[in-house]
Amino acid sequence: MTPAPAAEAPRVAAAVAEVVERVFGTVGTVRAEALRPGAREGFLTRGPVLADDVRELLRESDQLAVGLGLVVAPRPERGLPLRLEWWQVDPDGGRLRSLEPDLKPTSLGYYDYTAAEWFDVPRRTGRRHVVGPYVDVHGTGRYLLTLTEPVVVDGEFAGVAGADVPVRSFEAHLLRVLGRLPAPFVLVDEEGRIVLSTAARWLVGGLLPAGAAAAGPVVEVPGTPWRVVPADGGSVLTA
Amino acid sequence: MQLLSGDARRAVFAPLDDGALRSEAVVRRVGSAIALGLLGDGEQLPTETDLATMLNVSTVTLREALAELRKLGLVETRRGRGGGSFVRAREDVLAGLAEARLAELGTADLRELGDVHGAVAATAARLAAARASRTEIARLRDIVDRLAEADSVTGQRRAEGRFYVELAACAQSVRLTMQEMDLHLELGQLPWPPAHAPELLGVIVAGHRAVVDAVEARDPAGARARAEQHIETRTLWSIELRLRLPGADAAADRPREVS
Repeated sequence: MTPAPAAEAPRVAAAVAEVVERVFGTVGTVRAEALRPGAREGFLTRGPVLADDVRELLRESDQLAVGLGLVVAPRPERGLPLRLEWWQVDPDGGRLRSLEPDLKPTSLGYYDYTAAEWFDVPRRTGRRHVVGPYVDVHGTGRYLLTLTEPVVVDGEFAGVAGADVPVRSFEAHLLRVLGRLPAPFVLVDEEGRIVLSTAARWLVGGLLPAGAAAAGPVVEVPGTPWRVVPADGGSVLTA
Repeated sequence: MQLLSGDARRAVFAPLDDGALRSEAVVRRVGSAIALGLLGDGEQLPTETDLATMLNVSTVTLREALAELRKLGLVETRRGRGGGSFVRAREDVLAGLAEARLAELGTADLRELGDVHGAVAATAARLAAARASRTEIARLRDIVDRLAEADSVTGQRRAEGRFYVELAACAQSVRLTMQEMDLHLELGQLPWPPAHAPELLGVIVAGHRAVVDAVEARDPAGARARAEQHIETRTLWSIELRLRLPGADAAADRPREVS
């Protein structure tokens, strides 16, 4: 007997939570590297914090992240500017390279990350955060989910450690793990933006109107700002 | 090297692939990048070899282009330790370059450019009305406010470019965003209408605010229509500026001023 659609939502939520925890595992490793005694001095100087081999995390065989690293909180009063130590997998070569975004305030492409949600939320709340999907216009140019957590040095917010997961890989991974579902569902963030959908009429990146789609009880995904909404509606492949 | 960064900057140094490779295409690309603030005053350009590779031009072509940029006063080359080629943002030179570019184009070219920009921006506006988050809408509004307050031509162009790029990002579309970036490098080569008639800045600001209002009201059809309408107006402006150029009737036969 196939499980009832409503019973599927908790299974979906658990699978989503597991993927998220896995990526936060990588983020945690980056954070721990940044806090090693030899590394953390870099926050107070212009020197690097992370060792070069941290980027090798991106080469792990089951790695979903295509970018990871540390984003340092600027401290103008100490002459310490905006600074990233971020590596990413080249979309068309698999090579690793460091991200060097445009940090000039005067430019069209200026990347003021202190206003970005993935930086600002962990700074304000002291807690980890998941953002996306969003078009990373000024950073990597990809359609991404970004997972970040605060790095605190001597009681002071020093920046965030984080990882970028392409929306495509996140979706492919979950669809594989979940297999064929008995009923469609939509995964949305706190604003209703669709993170993942197994119903063709609800598009990734769109907003799910309040009250729409719910064909059963909504299930929160632990450790994320997301919830799973069982979707109504049949196939769109009908005349 | 600070170049392989955001997509906006990547587009500046993307290979030129429009047929035979001319140094004037390089001059135009670099000129528009300076006009849009993608290359800032005092910024160092990559080495000749790197630049030639990125743009996919021969070093001979690149040297010709750099010589022209130096002659125009947009690039300064310093020798010795810490030397290299540096950007000089000069609004008078950029305005001259924009007029010369305008003289090369026919009114049908300007209409075409407007047609494509209208298609991309109006679709972005429609999708943004259905998909933008509140944070994203607030950011759009903030950019329009900055456009209204910008006091230099470069500052205004920068804010306007940013508005269209962010609108496409609000549509949740990487492809539309990239299209906007490419279009803005092209549009950045043309004169900025408020530099000729300052009151037009108010029309631009009002046009963008109308789009943001419709996006915020979750009115996709309205957002689309307003974006389309504004770009149609802009196209007419460019066409009139083109027709007003001295000797416009003979321009097509004249030797090019930018080479």
